[in-house]
Amino acid sequence: MQVFKAMFKIVKKRLPSAMVYIIVFVTISVLVTNASSKDNQFKASRMEISVFDHDDTPESRALTEYLGKNNDIVEIEDDKDKIIDALYYKKLNYALIINEGYAEKLKAGETADLFGNYHLDECFSTVYIGQFLNEYTSSIKAYLAMGKTSDEAIALAEEALSVQTEVNMLRVDKGGNSHYSVDFAGYFQYMPYVLISVILAVVCQVLVTMNKKDIRYRTNCSCIKNSKYTAQLFIGSGLFVLAVWLLLIAVGAVLNEEMYTGRAWYAVLNSLIFSVIVAAMAVFIASFDPKDNVLSLITQITGLGMSFFCGIFIPMDVLSDGVLSVARFMPAYWYIRANNMIADIEAFDKDKIFQCYAMQLAFIAAFVTLTLLVRRIRYSGASIGTAVKKAAVS
Amino acid sequence: MENTVVRIKDLVKRYGDLIALDHFELEIKDGEIFGLLGPNGSGKTTTINCLLSLLSFDKGDIEIFGKKMTPVSYDIKKEIGVIMQNVAVFDELTVYENIDYFCGLYISDKAKRRQYVEEAIKFVGLEDFRKFYPKKLSGGLLRRLNIACGIAHKPKLIILDEPTVAVDPQSRNRILEGIQELNRNGATVIYTSHYMEEVEQICTRIAIMDKGRKVAEGTKDELKRMIKNTETITIEILELPGKVLGEVAGLPHIYDADYVDGRLVLSCSGGKHNLTRVLDVLHKHELGFGRVYTELPTLNDVFLEITGKALRDKED
Ligand SMILES: Nc1ncnc2c1ncn2[C@@H]1O[C@H](COP(=O)(O)OP(=O)(O)OP(=O)(O)O)[C@@H](O)[C@H]1O
Ligand SMILES: [Mg+2]
Repeated sequence: MQVFKAMFKIVKKRLPSAMVYIIVFVTISVLVTNASSKDNQFKASRMEISVFDHDDTPESRALTEYLGKNNDIVEIEDDKDKIIDALYYKKLNYALIINEGYAEKLKAGETADLFGNYHLDECFSTVYIGQFLNEYTSSIKAYLAMGKTSDEAIALAEEALSVQTEVNMLRVDKGGNSHYSVDFAGYFQYMPYVLISVILAVVCQVLVTMNKKDIRYRTNCSCIKNSKYTAQLFIGSGLFVLAVWLLLIAVGAVLNEEMYTGRAWYAVLNSLIFSVIVAAMAVFIASFDPKDNVLSLITQITGLGMSFFCGIFIPMDVLSDGVLSVARFMPAYWYIRANNMIADIEAFDKDKIFQCYAMQLAFIAAFVTLTLLVRRIRYSGASIGTAVKKAAVS
Repeated sequence: MENTVVRIKDLVKRYGDLIALDHFELEIKDGEIFGLLGPNGSGKTTTINCLLSLLSFDKGDIEIFGKKMTPVSYDIKKEIGVIMQNVAVFDELTVYENIDYFCGLYISDKAKRRQYVEEAIKFVGLEDFRKFYPKKLSGGLLRRLNIACGIAHKPKLIILDEPTVAVDPQSRNRILEGIQELNRNGATVIYTSHYMEEVEQICTRIAIMDKGRKVAEGTKDELKRMIKNTETITIEILELPGKVLGEVAGLPHIYDADYVDGRLVLSCSGGKHNLTRVLDVLHKHELGFGRVYTELPTLNDVFLEITGKALRDKED
């Protein structure tokens, strides 16, 4: 346990600089998620509307009543200047005028010139109400054409619209599929950069320190078994990687405001595989004994390089084919491909996602093999812990 | 009967074409402070690394505590304390944590370890630096920390590889006294150095190394008896005619006379009243002189005579 304990003391000393990455990442994610969820709330929120019913028929009154259910009706004098004042001072979002002959025209199947309106600028509320009115009147027209009475047509249209509104809100809320929104996919898209930065900075550093020649020599003089030493390093690094991954997954769940369900689990598995890749990469880099400044350079280059080439910072569909063909030789490419499919940015295809997993696993195998190779070459001269060579005594 | 603690037989170690250890033999007995003295690159560290099975070697046998030493001889390693030439401590751990880490590689009992670590801190005098990180320690204090890490687990055999390099005289004396105290408490010590004064001061037996070979071995008195030099006389004279130098060199028991930079240096072997005879000659020629001093042979003289070169340059 000695080795393990020392490792974690070293990790603790290295952690503050690594935590910066996590904190920046989480902060940005929180900001992005909040901004977009406010957007959603705005869409769903009630608006302040004034309705001037110049038709005054049961049909027009029904529309006024229906609008009042989802919005706040503001009573205001029917005077252009006053309406514009109210709009200007934000007492009002939208003023609707139901033109005379509204009911007649509807029954005749006409939908032109039913309404007039006042609004300040083309914002979401005006578009939303315009679209709503359009759908409302088209629905009534359709039901009337089916031979329903006015009352029935209005009731049916209202029913249909309320269902549709819900569906619309869901789509807006959750993006392509209900369990893995585009926002959330963004969180997972940036995760490799954080994993690379944090794991390389900490795990590499610790392994390099623990394997420094002088320290290794000194440790080899003691009665701790070589295999036990290596095992403790392995477990320690593994636990750290697992902890970082779990932290990011937990923060993801909090940001998404629900536990992972359905497709999101593919993303969770994807990120776990990628964490293992980065861990293998850390062990590989550490086997070269890089100096402190060289190591931070390698960390930057690897983190930023993969981020720009593999679609972490720049969406893949913006990247040129040339870049993407190079990116194939980097593990993050396959991570992002899988993520894009899970998020419906590319067509969701279970088999292809598993192929991406397989490619990533291949990278792990490659790094492990390379590490063993490097260690063999580097330590073939001065054997650390290998049996004493017995020269043939003649 | 004294017990043999370390036995190195016919050790050969090559680095490529370079023969670092050339049929090297060594035997160290229980309770000794054994000095391994040799100039830079003579193979001291290589000997220690082979002894500890850190390096593989081409030929030879190494026994410690009567058992063959291998990389997996953990029962032997348990009883050895090692202070490497290169300070091996973690920059990320404090003084206390470093000693605790290395002590913990040998001793798992927590209470016992805490006591041992405290004793080690006291032993090297780092009480006020427990919470310091190595980077904040001066060279001498760092060396002391390195020593504390090596001896905290109370080993029976302590190996120190040049533990006083780049240490001021005060710290050095403290370290040397500490080593003698460890020895009094029952530890056998192997001490390598290229400072002959240190080796002379503390070692009970000494082996002199050069180019991977042992060139002499014995107590310091035995070593000095091996050479013909018994006394070196130095006289400061402003001017010395060659004729007089010749006359002085011709005196009995003087086998070497040198006049450089206003100093007449005479090497004598045996005999008495050598100085008086030299001064008589100077009187006769009415030559005035300044300071006069005589020195008994040092290990440097031993090394000089055996290998034909100085152990090290005047001061480094
Ligand atoms: N890893 C190595 N590869 C090649 N040659 C080496 C290696 N280590 C030591 N040597 C050579 O072996 C010889 C003995 O070196 P060693 O370090 O044992 O000397 P030393 O007596 O400890 O010297 P110092 O007083 O400088 O510590 C030197 O010539 C050195 O250059
Ligand atoms: Mg050395």
